[in-house]
Amino acid sequence: MKLEGGKISSSHLTFLIVGFILGSSLILSPGMAAKHDAWLAVLVGLGEGLVFTLIYLTLAMRFPGKTLVQYNDIIFGPYLGKVISLGYLWFFFHLGSLVLRNFGDFLTSMIYPETPIAVFIILTTLVCASAVRNGIEVITRCSLILVVFTVFSVLGTIILLAQDMKFTNLLPVLDLPLKEFIKASHSAATFPFGETVVFLMVIAFLDNVKQAKISTLTALIVAGLLLVLSLLRNTAVLGVTEGIHVYPSYQVIRLIKIAKILTRLEIIVAVNLLTMGFLKISVCYYATVLGLAQLLNLRSYLPLVFPVGVLMVSLSILQFDSVIENIFFAFEIYPYYSLPFEVGFPLLSLIIAIIRGIPKQEEEKGNRKQDSVDNI
Amino acid sequence: MFGFLFKKLQFWQLLNQRNSGKQNGNWQKSSQTSLSRDLKENLKVLKSILGTSNDIVIREFSFGYDEKINASIIFVDGLTDRMTINESIIKPLMYDTHLFDSRELLTTNNIDIIQKSMLSVGDVKIVTSLDDVIDGCLSGDTVLLINGSDQALVISSRGWESRGIQEPKTEAVVRGPREGFTETLRSNTSLLRRKIRNPDFILENMQLGQRTKTDICIAYLKGVVNPKLVEEVKYRLKKINTDAILESGYIEQFIEDAPFSPFATIANSEKPDVIAGKLLEGRVAILVDGTPMVLTVPMVFIESFQTSEDYYSRPFYTSILRTLRFISFFITILAPGVYVALTTFHQEFIPTPLLITMAAAREGTPFPAVVEAIVMGIVYEILREAGIRLPRPVGSAISIVGALVIGEAAVSAGLIGAPVVIVVALTAISSFVVPAQSDTAALGRVIITISAGALGAFGIIIILLAGLIHLCTLRSFGTPYFSPLAPLSFRDLKDVFIRLPIWAMFTRPRTIGWHDPQRQEFRQIPAPPQDSEKVEQPQGEPENNSNMKSQTGVQGLKRPRKIGNKDT
Repeated sequence: MKLEGGKISSSHLTFLIVGFILGSSLILSPGMAAKHDAWLAVLVGLGEGLVFTLIYLTLAMRFPGKTLVQYNDIIFGPYLGKVISLGYLWFFFHLGSLVLRNFGDFLTSMIYPETPIAVFIILTTLVCASAVRNGIEVITRCSLILVVFTVFSVLGTIILLAQDMKFTNLLPVLDLPLKEFIKASHSAATFPFGETVVFLMVIAFLDNVKQAKISTLTALIVAGLLLVLSLLRNTAVLGVTEGIHVYPSYQVIRLIKIAKILTRLEIIVAVNLLTMGFLKISVCYYATVLGLAQLLNLRSYLPLVFPVGVLMVSLSILQFDSVIENIFFAFEIYPYYSLPFEVGFPLLSLIIAIIRGIPKQEEEKGNRKQDSVDNI
Repeated sequence: MFGFLFKKLQFWQLLNQRNSGKQNGNWQKSSQTSLSRDLKENLKVLKSILGTSNDIVIREFSFGYDEKINASIIFVDGLTDRMTINESIIKPLMYDTHLFDSRELLTTNNIDIIQKSMLSVGDVKIVTSLDDVIDGCLSGDTVLLINGSDQALVISSRGWESRGIQEPKTEAVVRGPREGFTETLRSNTSLLRRKIRNPDFILENMQLGQRTKTDICIAYLKGVVNPKLVEEVKYRLKKINTDAILESGYIEQFIEDAPFSPFATIANSEKPDVIAGKLLEGRVAILVDGTPMVLTVPMVFIESFQTSEDYYSRPFYTSILRTLRFISFFITILAPGVYVALTTFHQEFIPTPLLITMAAAREGTPFPAVVEAIVMGIVYEILREAGIRLPRPVGSAISIVGALVIGEAAVSAGLIGAPVVIVVALTAISSFVVPAQSDTAALGRVIITISAGALGAFGIIIILLAGLIHLCTLRSFGTPYFSPLAPLSFRDLKDVFIRLPIWAMFTRPRTIGWHDPQRQEFRQIPAPPQDSEKVEQPQGEPENNSNMKSQTGVQGLKRPRKIGNKDT
């Protein structure tokens, strides 16, 4: 049984992960609780996120060519494994719907105040569904183009805003109780970085599993540094008022004014959000659908794409009443809600796998399977 | 649902195939019979098959000692060269037979002697079946039948009125060869053969079309091309079962990968240098008799932005031109959509002075921007189509009507705003910069304009994303359509947004010509000669020397390990 025929190369995975992490975090700045130290919180959060990612990678390297759902069955046994897989799938599914909601919230509050949110969510899901139907290979290829554009636009806006930046805005550094700072940095670790747990469903399709480690960590660092840069830009331009805005990046780019021609470039931010959000939603959507198909032992995941999409749309529309609720959830509840999926279960699986010595029994089989896949 | 429909279609196709096979069965059976020994019998059968057409000439005559041997030649008037028939077939048979021993000629296998020592024509074949006789006759050869022999000679005498080699009107160049393909297959292959003088340049013949029997030629460079690609092309061509192939477009639609995609996955050109360049990159060309348009596979999206002239002129300006082409492609699909989105949804994104000017120009116009843009788009397409179909002398009327009546009068009457005229004109001009994608661009433009009218910038981005997904999904004969951008191969970016100098393009495209990756020797940057070299070189013949050098260079070239193309 082969659900996904595509293969992705490790360098392409880097692009996909960068796109995934920048997904909604370019707009909904993580670590906002730390106010003007947000960039520092994200930097610390990146460190924490790297630790999380190392856990995922160690786990993935033990089961090359297998997805999370498949080795949950091996580690926890067929029954408990399925329950835990279902938990993960819920998390992926919910993550996708959260991003969709961010998307819709941003558009309705900033650009289209009178259009119902459902329009944006449904259309976006349709596009994502078509990407998911075509498989992970196509999503990855799209990411190549989109991520390059985003990286250039982030760096470009920094150059265009150079004249408005006041680096004194960054002072005083660490003017915050340590507890709150840690809270903010932990929130940054769970919000963009820890979400890479989704890639446990994707790494299995790498053509060279050994390079997964280096490409994933590179992606994490590149994306983290881009985030830090954009936060530095926001703080340096806006100062303390950064904390007031819901979407500080949008606000910052609005201020670009060069020679009366290069003004009102905020559309760039909207485009970045749309394209990166598309990648993030597609990956979550894909992981959910593929995992569900593996859980139910289906021969193809295509029949699941439509129903899961409909559920995702409904959930994202129904779960919050307003933007504020969404922001509150993202910064207050989400860091704790996501903890079991991002740290708890992966760590538990890894420990159990080590204690039971499962990879050693499975190693030969796994290698052989990998070989046969390569030959095909 | 689509899968179901597609299966239905396939089934229907199969059914048709079987039916057509039945219909053709009888005709094929009768024609596969072999020739009889009796000339009169043969002629009777041939006349019954070919007889009623008046362009078939059957000339009966006798020759040899005492005119004892009866024979006849059959040819199609107009397809054959009369000089050849008179001077090289009839004349030797009727006059020069006296030079031969008469008894020898009267033996049963006199056809061998005639073939070997009498006919002064280059290409003579012996055939035995009626089918081959008719085939040869209809393709312009002359058939010689001799009484008492169950074999016939097919003597090459093709020669018909054809257009000379001219500069193609669709792909004009400033620098570079100006010859273009013609409608005759043989002259097209000769044009290619003259470009690539190499025994590895292979031309394989095929006949397609139950009724038209059109000659088709597959051309490739052995050793450079991926053998699997050639197999795939042949397989797809063999699957074609139709009655007529009138243009290469027929074949394109039968063998393309994505029949429902707006993007063409098979490239075409009518310039021999373009085709030769593509063959050297590892592609396969399909030449069809009767059309100057030659197909090449696989095609990648970037190919539409490359012209032959890019490689002939120096790299700096070419690189700027490449970027310019990408920009104009985006303008031609996006301009009306962006205009509509800006004026209807996002007025705040326009700088204030510009906004005021635009608002003043659009003041009092009765229609919303999206209607204006679509109507003007349609008007432009009508003008373009009319311009192509119109008889030349009337052509100037179109420009007057287009420029004066629609542009000038409509704006001054206040029916449409001046900005939309500017936008549509800009779109029209940019669409000619990338001719290979102009059909797709016209389609995309309409879709984007409508979605921009409905949802503004969000609509545009959604459509662009969908387009990107589609481009990333497409494949052309196993090669990802959007390569080398996605999947990315850094080495091939040398020929996308910028074009590196020729001496820096060491490798063939990774996804196409990776069967023999290295194109040339490294380190050929031109530099002034070192002092030591100057002394050694005799001043008289610098050219000879450099030739020698390059030859030894090619021989000593180390080829890297051959890597099979994974994608096909």
